[in-house]
Amino acid sequence: MNRLPRGCANVGGGLAAAMEECKRVFLSLFERWGYHPFLPSGLQLLESSWERLPPLFRQKLIAVNSPYGEPCCLRGDITLATVAYLASHHSPEERPLRVCYSDRVYARAEKPRLSMESFQIGAELLGWERQGADAEMLFLLLRMLDAIGLEKSVLLLGDATFLAKAVSEVESSVAERIVAALRKGSLIEYSELLEEENIPDFYRKILQCIPDLHGGPEVLDEAARLWGKGAPLLSLRNIVSTLTALGYGDRIAVDLSLVRELGYYSGPIFDVYSENYGQSLGGGGRYDRLLSLCGLQGQAMGFGLDLQHVASLSRFRKRPPSVMAWFANLSPSDALQRAERLTTEGTPLEMSWCGDRASSLRSAAHRGCSSWVDLSEGSTLDLSAETDGLVLPGKEDSQC
Amino acid sequence: MLTIALPTGRVFSEAAELLAAAGLPASSLASPGRKLVFEEENFRYILAKPSDVPLYVSYGTADLAFAGGDVLQESALPLVELLDTGRGRCSVVVAGPAPLAERFRGHVSERMWLKVATKYPRIADNHFSSKGAQVDIIHLHGSIELAPKLGLSDCILDIVQTGSTLKANHLEVLEHVSDVSLRLVASKKSVALRWNEIRAVSRAIRRCGEVLP
Repeated sequence: MNRLPRGCANVGGGLAAAMEECKRVFLSLFERWGYHPFLPSGLQLLESSWERLPPLFRQKLIAVNSPYGEPCCLRGDITLATVAYLASHHSPEERPLRVCYSDRVYARAEKPRLSMESFQIGAELLGWERQGADAEMLFLLLRMLDAIGLEKSVLLLGDATFLAKAVSEVESSVAERIVAALRKGSLIEYSELLEEENIPDFYRKILQCIPDLHGGPEVLDEAARLWGKGAPLLSLRNIVSTLTALGYGDRIAVDLSLVRELGYYSGPIFDVYSENYGQSLGGGGRYDRLLSLCGLQGQAMGFGLDLQHVASLSRFRKRPPSVMAWFANLSPSDALQRAERLTTEGTPLEMSWCGDRASSLRSAAHRGCSSWVDLSEGSTLDLSAETDGLVLPGKEDSQC
Repeated sequence: MLTIALPTGRVFSEAAELLAAAGLPASSLASPGRKLVFEEENFRYILAKPSDVPLYVSYGTADLAFAGGDVLQESALPLVELLDTGRGRCSVVVAGPAPLAERFRGHVSERMWLKVATKYPRIADNHFSSKGAQVDIIHLHGSIELAPKLGLSDCILDIVQTGSTLKANHLEVLEHVSDVSLRLVASKKSVALRWNEIRAVSRAIRRCGEVLP
């Protein structure tokens, strides 16, 4: 038995196949829309990451020394590497820049997971000044979720600006505690803080309502009524109306208590949820500040999803049963040529080099193949329909 | 169908009483027998070991649950705490033999390398490390009060309601750690996808909590 380091895992079988399928769907969709694949380095210099990442990200970094003695961290975030790369490799005239990726990220394990490595798929759109970029990314994200069979997943939309402005007149240490309570989901602590602390009435009223500002687009009107003139909701409103016009009205929900790192995100933010999993599958939002830290101007929008969770819920998790092609004592070259014809017709198959028909059939049934093909005759046996009545040869018949 | 997880044991009857008082169809909970899953109208109730309840919620198997603050702190799982019902009140404390009290009143260096027996290793670790005290935490699963008596530990970290068990074992409270009560919690997924139903249940329980003694 090959023991793995604690917090690490090998992924194989049906889940690995589903992850690969999801990755293919994701990359091909985003590439069709002008997103370029990006393969970041596995190690990042600590000095490059530390100042640019918000405190909650930093706490999760796994620090290591490179063999050259440089203080590094295992790649905990792909966005930073992407932004830094684009800032140095592309001129301002080339913007907006679009990037998509699928790679492992490493972070300190957090309950309920024990794993420190995860597989992330994500995309970034950088350097666009006007509207459209947010909606483009969310539209493509929803399209991708549809394509992998998560048609019932929901985007929970919030806006980091709303909460940031609501606590802007609150003493900074209290504001931090208020935001932390929301982030950790303690509405009890949140309401206690609002009662106890000295907060201007106008903002207290808004903050008290925030946990209830949750639902359909009508929530935005409710929030605007509360805030009066200048409610920081324009970007979110544009996203909601665009996605609704695109037929995704029932796939979005607004939650103005949604919190992501306030110092990092600077506009609309979102999380992806699916009925069959208790936690967010991932999310993202607008992070213009990181862009300016890297010397770029304009907006930045990105997201990352946990590929393993997404794949485990996807339609690919139920792997389509494959076909077993029996070589039927043909020469290997003949058998492979005939089998290749089947694969070019789009049939995924697995070769069987068993010496006799019965063993091959038995092996196909054990592997859960949907059908079995005799390559010499070209005849097909539908195993999914006939397994019940099929008399499988016993072990003594097997010559495999 | 909304699924609600309830902890078996000490606070089960209080949770069941709150559900009934809130007007939820929960008559089957009055005499659960050995069954662990009940369905009434649009609600499913799961009875689980208290320490497992947060897991059911975190993984989304249950939409809502009642859980003690001690269990929630110990599990440290990502979920949404909606409401403090005010029921099942008790405290997490550090307790030990009377002579140890002097060390707890003194400088932190007096508490270094104390052996602390507890069912709550995470809470104990957070508590002592936040004070800069390095202690030896001994994770037990029951009869914590016996540990100092038998020389297994110097003190314990445990929940205390009336203090009678501590007294019976010649222990006294040395340090208050946190207050504990029964809380209504929800899965993040359910808050995201079923907020209206979650809010309706939460409000009904809040209302009856204010009325009930």
